[in-house]
Order: sequence, then C-alpha cells, then structure tokens
Amino acid sequence: MLGCHDFCGYYDWTFHFIRREFGEAAVQSLWADAIGQDSQRHYIELGLREGLKGLFEAWRQTGEDEQCDWTFTLDAKSNVLRWDMRKCPSKGFLLAHDLNADEDYCDHCMGWESSMLGSLGLRMIRHEHNHSGQCWGEMTLAGTEPAELTLEADIRKDPRWQTGFVERFDRHIKLPVLGQPGGQSDWVAVLAGAMAGERLVILGRGPSVRDLPSAAQSGSRLLVTGSAYASGEQWWKSPDVVLVNSPVDDTLLAGISARYSQAGSEHRPLLAYAYLPSQPPVAFPNYGLPRPVPILPALIRANLYVHDPRGPFPTTGVFLALLGAAVSNAREVHIAGIDGYAHPSGVTYAHGVGPADATWQPEHSPEVDQSALARVGAHLGSRLCFLGSGPMRDRPESQP
Amino acid sequence: MSAPDFYFVNNAVFRHIHDKYGRDALIRYWTGLGRDYYAKRAALWKDQGAAGIATDWKAYFLEEPQAVVDVTMEGAAAILHVKVCPAIKHLRDSGREIVPYFCEHCDHVCSAMAGVAGFSFARSGGMGSCEQRFEPLTVEGRLLSEKGGTSHARLP
Repeated sequence: MLGCHDFCGYYDWTFHFIRREFGEAAVQSLWADAIGQDSQRHYIELGLREGLKGLFEAWRQTGEDEQCDWTFTLDAKSNVLRWDMRKCPSKGFLLAHDLNADEDYCDHCMGWESSMLGSLGLRMIRHEHNHSGQCWGEMTLAGTEPAELTLEADIRKDPRWQTGFVERFDRHIKLPVLGQPGGQSDWVAVLAGAMAGERLVILGRGPSVRDLPSAAQSGSRLLVTGSAYASGEQWWKSPDVVLVNSPVDDTLLAGISARYSQAGSEHRPLLAYAYLPSQPPVAFPNYGLPRPVPILPALIRANLYVHDPRGPFPTTGVFLALLGAAVSNAREVHIAGIDGYAHPSGVTYAHGVGPADATWQPEHSPEVDQSALARVGAHLGSRLCFLGSGPMRDRPESQP
Repeated sequence: MSAPDFYFVNNAVFRHIHDKYGRDALIRYWTGLGRDYYAKRAALWKDQGAAGIATDWKAYFLEEPQAVVDVTMEGAAAILHVKVCPAIKHLRDSGREIVPYFCEHCDHVCSAMAGVAGFSFARSGGMGSCEQRFEPLTVEGRLLSEKGGTSHARLP
C-alpha cells in the first residue's frame, strides 16, 4: 500500500510523473484541484466557518501534533496570518532520504494553498522559500494590502535562511529571480540566458582541454568548474557559467569567492550549483557570493537526469556537460577535459593543479559518468564535438 | 512522522488522474511508483526473498497509524493479513468519499515491485481488510507453488 509515513517521497515523484506525462499546466491543476480543493476539504470547511482564526488554531495544533519546527502568528488587527518555518518536515523528508524526483518540490505549497485560500476569500500576499526547509508566508483577506509583520520569529533572521536558493511570490505569482538580469522567474531561463550563443564550450580539468581547437573559441560561451575557477586557471575569455563542485568545502568556496570578488562586474560568471539533497546545505552569502542558480530543474526537465537516492552522482565536469545539453541551443557544443582520470598521457589535470592522488571518489563512479555522457551524446547528436578521453570517449557520439 | 491526512491526498490524486486522464493513466502512475519510485525496496526483496518482503512490510505497517496487519510466511510465500487498513479507516472515519478503485493501487504498485523481485502479487478482499500474497515465480514466470500450472505473466 501507499502509506502516510513515506508519503512525501512519492508525493515528489507524483509531481514529476504528472509534469512529465501531461505538462506544467497539469501539475498546476493537480495542486490546485486535487490537493487544494479535494484533499483539503477539512481546512476549507473550517476556514469557511471560522476564518483566519480557525486556520491559525488548526495549523498550530497540527504543528504540535507533528512536532513541526515552525511559528504561526495571527495579527487579528491587520488580519494577517503568517508562518515562519524553521525546518519543514515535508522538504526535510526529501533531504533526509536524498530524494529529488521533481524539478521544484517546494512550489507545490503555493500551488495548493492559493487554490484553497481563494475558496475562503483569502489570499497569500507574500511568500519565500529557500529549498532547504526554511520558508515564510503571509495570508490575508482578498482585496486588502496589510503591511508585512515585524516578528522576532522571522525565519530570515535565522542563519539557515542563508542556505539554498530563494524563490519569492507576490499574490501567488512567482517573482523574477533576485539579482539576475532579464526578469526571469524560471531558473532554466536564467541559465539559458547565460549560455545563449552560437557556440558553447564546456571544460573539465583533464589534459584534453588542450585539444580544444582555437576555432571553437570564437564567439563562444564558456562553462567551467568551480575548482578550475578557484585555482586561477585562465581561458581566452571570462567564463560565463561556473558550476560549483559537489561536494564543496570551505577552501574551494574561499577560492571561488576570492576570484569572484576581484573580478569586475562585467567579468563575473553566473554561479550554478547542483544543490544535491545528500550534500550539507551551504550558506553562499557567508562567503560573499550570490546564491548559485540550481541546475537540477533544467536537467530533470530535459529528461537528462534521474536522481539516484544514496547512489553515486556525476562529477562536476559531467554535470556541466548535462547542463549544456539540457539548456543550450548552440549550433556547436564542444566538450573537453573530461578524461575520467585516464588520459593516455598519464596526466590528471591539464594545468597540474589538483590533488596528486586524484581518482574516483566514493560519491562518483565511471559508470554514472559514462551513462550521463551517453545521454549528452544522444541529446546533442551532431551538434556535439566531444574531446574527452579514456573511458569517457567511448560513449558520446563525438565528432572531433 | 506519520500524518494520516496524507491518505486524503492519495484519494484525491487517484480521483484526479482517473477523471482527468483516464484509468490507463492511473494504472501507469501506480505501476511507475512500484517499478521506479520503490525500485530500491524491490531490489531488496529480490535479494532477500519472501522473508525480506515479510520483514519489509512488518516495518512499513508499524509506521502507519491505526494499521492492524499480521505478516506471515506460508512456504515460500509472504502473506499480509490486513485486518484494519489504515488508509480506508482514516478516510471512512473522516467521512471522505473513497474512490471505488482505491484498493487497486495496492494491486498495481505491489505487482510492479513484486515483478522486479521475481514474485507475483495477489489480493483478496478490500475496502478495509484484505489478504495480500507475494509468491515466488520461476524464471518462466510461473508460480513456484504450481506444478505445470497456469503461467502468470510478469508486469512490464
């Protein structure tokens, strides 16, 4: 049977199933109609009887029953009901079990709540979540514009708020991503904007980066790894996207931060990160860095990545290749420097900077990388020019 | 954490998929859950056999509020005696209209998992109490317990 104790895991999988099979509008409909109306009938009946006060009492009781680490506040004077979530049990289940089937699990809350509140003559006026288990929101009577509450419990004062990547909603509408040009509210569109061009070059750190023909550099967009960026490697241009490695540590973050802060604003890359649920949350702003753009939504949407709970995940260079394949419309995609620690020269890093004993770490595997590169090859077809070597070279349909 | 109101969501999601996309889509959803989402559980069943299936379900139902389920072994088969189905009980106690095909989710989710593990799945009863049998299949897809008996096709 489908139980309730592991519900959140297959809830996430359900969103992905509906989105993949029937499209974005279908998942919005699932949230609004099935979840927000049918399943939440008890809250709708309560809200119709007792209004915001009834919802406040019910959710406060739920919090006690389920030991939720949250604060609910009702300001009866301004008719604002607010929550500050310190550790979301729902997203927390996914993080604890290394689950990430759908492209954006957290969006479902706005999806069903806006529908339910609409039936009660209420609406969500403000909401933010950071995909790490922290969020807040304020709901009030439709047609009113009360000011935001000032509270000691404001989750944004909590150090955990600095982790993850933030999405903001205003009256149920997702707002453009903070700090990114173009006014896009979709992370995939933000990445596509940074990678738009005729030619895309994706560089790992292996010796085969030297094989990249100079003709490939002309008019190209450049994607590199965080470790290459931090180590001071130089290219013919400033990178357009830097993918922060998973796992990441203080030294690497400090290195990325140093180069990023020294670069002029026109030379600063778009930072991206996988935000794998198995990895500890990282507070990027504490290193003087903007919160990187998540890459998994793009990979999942393109059907290029299925997260394997507790399993090995791609190396950073291969994640970059997946990202390029998922997002770019470039006429040519050149991938080099992904050599699987097996370049015929016996050299591991093209620029000689890196751990002397570099080899496959337990969180990665050659099979996972090979399989991912095969998908990249199949997806890009004749647009791909793959210059990697070793076992990686056998898989993609390369045209050097 | 167990929140029995999540059973409301399952009931609503089944109804939504059935009414909007049809019965085939609903079965595809359930089968995908068993084959893909529960792939690691099914792999454990394959490794550990019927005893592993029994142990897994015992642990699973211990987490489900108000469930009354006995799990036994009968030869090479694992049998679940569901005396009180926690989902049906909570839906009924809460006055919810239960979709008439609610119990079929067990058939398709469990059959898909069992198929991966080399077992068949069969349910008798339903809507509150039932018996669920997981029996090993031969490599030809026949029930081990049958001698030259009827072939039981594996799910795709």
